Amino acid sequence: MTTVIRTSGLTKNYGRVHALDGLDLDVEEGQVHGFLGPNGSGKSTTIRILLGLARATGGEATVFGGDPWRSAVALHRRIATVPGDVSVWPNLSGGETIDLLSRLRGAERKDPVYRASKARLSEAFQFDPRKKGRAYSKGNRQKVALIAAFAVPADLYILDEPTSGLDPLMEVVFQREIARVRAAGATVLLSSHILSEVEQLCDRVSIIRAGRIVESGTLAQLRHLTRTEVSFTAADDASLSGIPGAHGVRVEDGRAHLTVDSDAIAETLPALGALGVQGLRIEPPSLEELFLRHYGDDLVAAEAASDPGARSS
Amino acid sequence: MNGFAALYHQRLRRDGLQLALWIGITALLAFAAYAGVKDSFGTEQDRQSLLVAAIANPVILLFRGLPSGAGEGAFIAFLIVPFLCMLAAFMSSFLAVRHTRADEETGRAELVGGTPAGRMLPTVVTLVHGLIANLVLALLTALALVAAGLEAAGSFVVGSAAGVVGVFFLGLGLLTSQLMRTSRGANTVSVTVLLVTYLLAGIGNALGTPSDDLQRMESSWLTWLSPFGWAENSRPFADDDLWPLVLCTLVGIAFAVAAIALQSIRDVGSSFVAERAGRVDAHAALGSMTALVWRLSAGSIIGWAIGGAISGLLATTLASVVEEVSAENPSIEAVLNQMMASQGSIEQGLLTTFFVMIGILAACAGVQTITRARQEETHGTAELVLATPIDRVRWLFDFVIVGFAAIVIILAAGLGAASVGIALNDGDPDLYRSAVTVALGQVVAASVFLVLTALVFVLAPRGTIAVGWSLVLLAAVIGLFGPIFGMPENVTWLSPVAAAPVPVTDGVDVRGLWWLLGAIVVAGAASFGLMRRRELAAGG
Repeated sequence: MTTVIRTSGLTKNYGRVHALDGLDLDVEEGQVHGFLGPNGSGKSTTIRILLGLARATGGEATVFGGDPWRSAVALHRRIATVPGDVSVWPNLSGGETIDLLSRLRGAERKDPVYRASKARLSEAFQFDPRKKGRAYSKGNRQKVALIAAFAVPADLYILDEPTSGLDPLMEVVFQREIARVRAAGATVLLSSHILSEVEQLCDRVSIIRAGRIVESGTLAQLRHLTRTEVSFTAADDASLSGIPGAHGVRVEDGRAHLTVDSDAIAETLPALGALGVQGLRIEPPSLEELFLRHYGDDLVAAEAASDPGARSS
Repeated sequence: MNGFAALYHQRLRRDGLQLALWIGITALLAFAAYAGVKDSFGTEQDRQSLLVAAIANPVILLFRGLPSGAGEGAFIAFLIVPFLCMLAAFMSSFLAVRHTRADEETGRAELVGGTPAGRMLPTVVTLVHGLIANLVLALLTALALVAAGLEAAGSFVVGSAAGVVGVFFLGLGLLTSQLMRTSRGANTVSVTVLLVTYLLAGIGNALGTPSDDLQRMESSWLTWLSPFGWAENSRPFADDDLWPLVLCTLVGIAFAVAAIALQSIRDVGSSFVAERAGRVDAHAALGSMTALVWRLSAGSIIGWAIGGAISGLLATTLASVVEEVSAENPSIEAVLNQMMASQGSIEQGLLTTFFVMIGILAACAGVQTITRARQEETHGTAELVLATPIDRVRWLFDFVIVGFAAIVIILAAGLGAASVGIALNDGDPDLYRSAVTVALGQVVAASVFLVLTALVFVLAPRGTIAVGWSLVLLAAVIGLFGPIFGMPENVTWLSPVAAAPVPVTDGVDVRGLWWLLGAIVVAGAASFGLMRRRELAAGG
């Protein structure tokens, strides 16, 4: 497999702010790579450097083996992108904007393939191309950028929170498009803070925090790092002491809750069977939990700040 | 009533400074006009001869008011009333649209409509707000004239004339806001009506019937189709006739009532004229960055070019009038000769002065094109384009090249109109050659602003808009007024428009050309060279 995107020790400073602080990211060809982190963690800065819109302060970044700052034009012939905050020209209609961006990326005006894919995408995204840019809502501006990105084939799609502002139906359309370009062999870097979306679409996930990658791997690999949640009906914890591999056993509202290391779940099952448990639920760790492993302390701080009782005491 | 007070207070807070400026400028203009007339046309005889010349020359009547005699007050009314009315008209129509359709378009109206204030109250409050603003404008304008030393009755007629035209356009703005879907659409319709009725009044006056002594003009019926014509026909200081002003007020109020009636039968956010749908597919030409910049700039370039054409026409038609006036008045001739000392004839001098003005218009268009690059960057649309195979340097180059095209178009429009003026007069080939020379010189001068603003955009993006416009303003002041204030030549030469080549008695003065060309080459090379290393600077 060839590497499409590689950064090593990438840093970017805006004045005294370290937006990126030694970011190492590898995206292999054909992957759909989830790039996960909350706002302000450095996702958009990374993407700007990969697109040659910003210059790295230090470290290295290559896209298709080239320097994204120096060879921006050559690289952009192979890249389609949706920026994080889509703006459009107020006096151009949506259809005109899509055509303009596609033509800048090399689409021919009369090319039937392009025209068909533009029509198909407008239909699928339920997009009215006749309205002027100033009349579009955030979701519609997002659709302009998505249709322009998917209407012309690319080798690499760099998408910065592409579904923010879309309703759930449109998210399904978006997922279908990702599946289509993946099947065509393209690589996708998908930045997002919507965990379920990343969970559904991505082969690999990198979690970014404060300008560094703190976790990277396939979802299966990442799941090893957390425990599976097990729960069943139980009146009290009298008979629960003998379950092998169980952690954090507690009984709450008539249900017993415990966690088991995800790769040891098979050893726990016979014990559960011997107990004759009712209402058994086994939940694999969600990405949310993975994410909270790295951002849990931020959450605690945020909760403390928003809890009026904590402030007054 | 509580909601009324709250909404009125909100409008005052939002508009306070802006209205103070509009009203202050209108009153100041009235005050300054008096001083100007005292200076240039001190005697009754001076004024009489100018009126004779004006009535003989339709072009002047197109851009001034209605002659009603050579008395000091009536003469000032002739010179200034249309402009005072125009200021009130712009103030009022923007005010109306700002507080109705613009609020609706951005969704603020929905926020207010959800409270007990309801759908109707905001429109009513806006009407009251606009009426009060025009009342203040009328009073202060009248007081400015009284303070300058004119009699009270006529001064108040002038003030009222401006105020009632304001009320007319307040009503019109409210009405177009009901009809059109966007604030931009409503403003476009209002401003178009404003310009057309302004021209109607002027054309109607020019086609009117002069009195035997050529001191007074009776407007033709065309003038009576225009609120500006109604205002002028009150003939302040001569007849002090109030009924045309009453007519104007009634029409304005009728518009406002119609607007309120329309508001009561439509949904919030809807409009009576559906917004024109855009194209589904882009025009074949919209396929490159150059085409995009052109598309974004074309509207304003046409506007500047119309300004250039009007100035060009005046450049060659006014000369004959001025010569007529000065031939009868030795004192005026002396003043003119002092101003035009170095440039041979009055014709030549006027031509140069007007082309300096066209050069400034062209510089404005150039600067505006570069500030558009900055707006693209802060708005976020630059990112969309630069993520496609468009080189950074090429991206900036496209703005510069369209800016240069704008400069050439505007001076060509000025030159074209000036040639028409020459052909209408006597077809003097020497004057034509001079016009070509100054026009070419101003292309070079305006281009200096273009590349300097581009350089600021590359080096200090945040300063692009402020520095670009300040440069033009500074150069305009130095270039146009420097010679009159007696600034030494090496200071006025700092202004590119003043340093541009001009025809002199014995050939063409090209000394300034070299520094202009030098500045263009150096700033241009620096801009494009440094752009290669420049990141996208999105932060406002």
